[in-house]
Amino acid sequence: MFWKYALKRILNGIFIYIILIFIFSALFNVTMERTARALVEEQIQSDLMALRGSQMTPEQTRRFIEERRERYIQRYHLDKPVAERVLRRAWDTLSFDYGKSTFIKNSAGERDVTKIVFDAVPKTLLLFGTAIIIDILLGLVLGIKKAQRPGKMLDKSTSVTTMVVFGLPSWWLGMLMIMFFAYTVKIFPSGGLISTPPPEAGFAAFWDKLYHLLLPVITLVVLGFWGRAFLTRNIVLGILQEDYVMSARARGIPERKVLYGHAMRTAAPPIVTMALLALLASVSGNIVFEGIFSWPGMGNLYWTAIQQNDVPVLMGNLSMTTGLYISGLVILDLIYGFLDPRIKVGGKG
Amino acid sequence: MKFSDLKSSFQEFWSEFKRVRSGIFGLVLFGFFIFLMLFEPLLLPFEQANDRWRDITYWEDSPKGVPPVWANWFSSSKKPTSSIIADAQFSEQDLGSVKIKEWLFEYDFQADESPQDVILKGQGSGTPMIVYSLIRPDGQEVTMVQQAFSLGSKNAFRLSADKDAKKTVLDFVSGFEDPQVVRRTDAGRTLPTRFLFAQAKPGIIRSPEALKGLYTIKVTAIMQGANDSLSNLAIVLPGKVSGLLGTDSYKRDVWSGVLSGIKWALLIGILTAVVSVSVGVVYGVVSAYFGGLVDSVMNRIFEIFVSVPLLPVLIVMSAVFKPSIWTLIIMMAAFFWVGPVKTVRSMAMQIREETYIEASRALGAKNSRLIFKHMVPLLVPYSFASMALYIPGAIVYEATVSLLGLGDATIVTWGQILSDALSSGAVMNGLWWWVVPPGLAIAFMGMTFAFIGFAMDKILHPKLRTR
Repeated sequence: MFWKYALKRILNGIFIYIILIFIFSALFNVTMERTARALVEEQIQSDLMALRGSQMTPEQTRRFIEERRERYIQRYHLDKPVAERVLRRAWDTLSFDYGKSTFIKNSAGERDVTKIVFDAVPKTLLLFGTAIIIDILLGLVLGIKKAQRPGKMLDKSTSVTTMVVFGLPSWWLGMLMIMFFAYTVKIFPSGGLISTPPPEAGFAAFWDKLYHLLLPVITLVVLGFWGRAFLTRNIVLGILQEDYVMSARARGIPERKVLYGHAMRTAAPPIVTMALLALLASVSGNIVFEGIFSWPGMGNLYWTAIQQNDVPVLMGNLSMTTGLYISGLVILDLIYGFLDPRIKVGGKG
Repeated sequence: MKFSDLKSSFQEFWSEFKRVRSGIFGLVLFGFFIFLMLFEPLLLPFEQANDRWRDITYWEDSPKGVPPVWANWFSSSKKPTSSIIADAQFSEQDLGSVKIKEWLFEYDFQADESPQDVILKGQGSGTPMIVYSLIRPDGQEVTMVQQAFSLGSKNAFRLSADKDAKKTVLDFVSGFEDPQVVRRTDAGRTLPTRFLFAQAKPGIIRSPEALKGLYTIKVTAIMQGANDSLSNLAIVLPGKVSGLLGTDSYKRDVWSGVLSGIKWALLIGILTAVVSVSVGVVYGVVSAYFGGLVDSVMNRIFEIFVSVPLLPVLIVMSAVFKPSIWTLIIMMAAFFWVGPVKTVRSMAMQIREETYIEASRALGAKNSRLIFKHMVPLLVPYSFASMALYIPGAIVYEATVSLLGLGDATIVTWGQILSDALSSGAVMNGLWWWVVPPGLAIAFMGMTFAFIGFAMDKILHPKLRTR
């Protein structure tokens, strides 16, 4: 029955994605159209430049501009009613056609927003993916340790740390890290993906990337894994108070086995979901963090798009972020359904 | 709920809360922030910092990008603090048609480094001839500016060694330094005070050594016109250390900025949390209470909102709509409300089945009465706990939006200070006093509400305390 549940969840995710894209398209309609009209004017100018060789009277030039303007406005459907324009734009976005950027170019020098955004996605996934894995592993280990001896030194001190870092912006810690480790004690690069000039391919290139990855990942993990540990602790602790754990203990089953065999089995689904959910939130919440480290991912793209006032890139990036975020949520539910058989039956938990 | 009920339930809560040490610590921190906010007018060194934060003329007499005063304690070479000298020894000579007025300001210089500038400020009118010079402890007199000014009627004027006397000061120094070095020095790139307060000997350009002692700043005005006048003269010497937290590259006092940011952080955090949690709680209760079609429709809407990547949407909306702080709070609340819905809904599902709800309904109570009188009050403790935990999130989100330069430019928030620091290269140039305090303020504010929120959480879920 798992595939049925999975299919339902995936379709639901796609449905929500479509609705959100429509909402964005309607919400940002005015800005998008202002940009589209500017693009039309820009194209007319470049058409004029191409014709500069041929002699034209001012009257001819004026007629040429008008004729072109009409043609482009028709081509971009700017003469259609508002509702139709919104629907068309939403459809373009859904089919991953984000249009042309105003200024920003990708590494190959193209101005196609879809390509620019797709260039950035793997870099974001690399950075946050690495951080997430380390984060979960450390958080799980610490959380179980905390739950084993609640209220003791380790538990208390790490809980306090959780609260201390609760409202700490990751980008601020990133700024401090760069200030200290890149400019004061010069042991890490101040940002970027690779050194300039890039090292030769092979092991050197791999090491170079890792070297650049290290500081941002450390920053994210240092801030993140306390929360994960706190969560794990609460879940495991709640389960350790269940009757079946007590009966297992009473039967004389060794504590290790009670913990990993009995308690962790029940604890796994909520831990996995809550950890992934918190991390998904942290990716969406920390995305700006990339800008501090000039990490050329999607977060950095928001920075450059805002600084250059490049609306198409901003919108394309937002659509992609939303898509990835919803996919994350769907994957989360699938894992949950896989780990906890009660979910996929469709009962109300 | 009657007032006495409220009082007793609050007392009950307080007696439990008192025992959670971290919660008390959070309350103390909160009280400290409230104290700073209430006494802000008394604690602000620059009274108009709130309104004129982005007005460069307001800050022009402060030093530029210097560390806090207490940085001197950790450094072997003592840097001068800023000082303003308004007391002058005044003398006047009347030569018939011409009047010569002279002001002498005394400055006791004992630091190891020179101040950043020597500024003459005052008001004047007419067309006086002003000679602005410095008499050094070694007897040398340096004429910095000698010029006739046309001030019109009653105008403020300002003479700065750094702006108006680079050339003349270099000319003075040239007499002592190796001509080779002098030739290679570009007057436009020198800091005149470095030479003015240095021992007159070879090396004064390359590695000046401080000349300590009593300096006299002499202002002579030669007045010919009937309405020529000068008044309210004062000398401003911006130091190399300043204030509690130093100054930034725009000469603004960082402490004033951090202090002004407190009220905005509290406002943003508390207002967003209160609005969004209230909406979320009511939404969850309504959804659970009605059930059926209403519930499933409301669930759908909830699902759509949950699937929004909050910060990116907030950033794009801010970039497109350029919101004021109030609009930003509304925008944040419009997305934050989904947080408590799920928990509230499941809690309300249980409450709905209670017999007293059934009894009340049998007595003919309306839906609104059941929801707001019988169900919502039971969720108030939970609401407060989650409100406290949403406050830091709202503050960080505003700071992040501001960091991208999309904040409300009419106010001062910590995020905006950090945004300026980042864009001016404070990280690269190591201006730690500009980067650390605002972020630390955000962190402490977050910590305050995290301590309070987690303490409340602990009381509400006693199971989590120990086994």
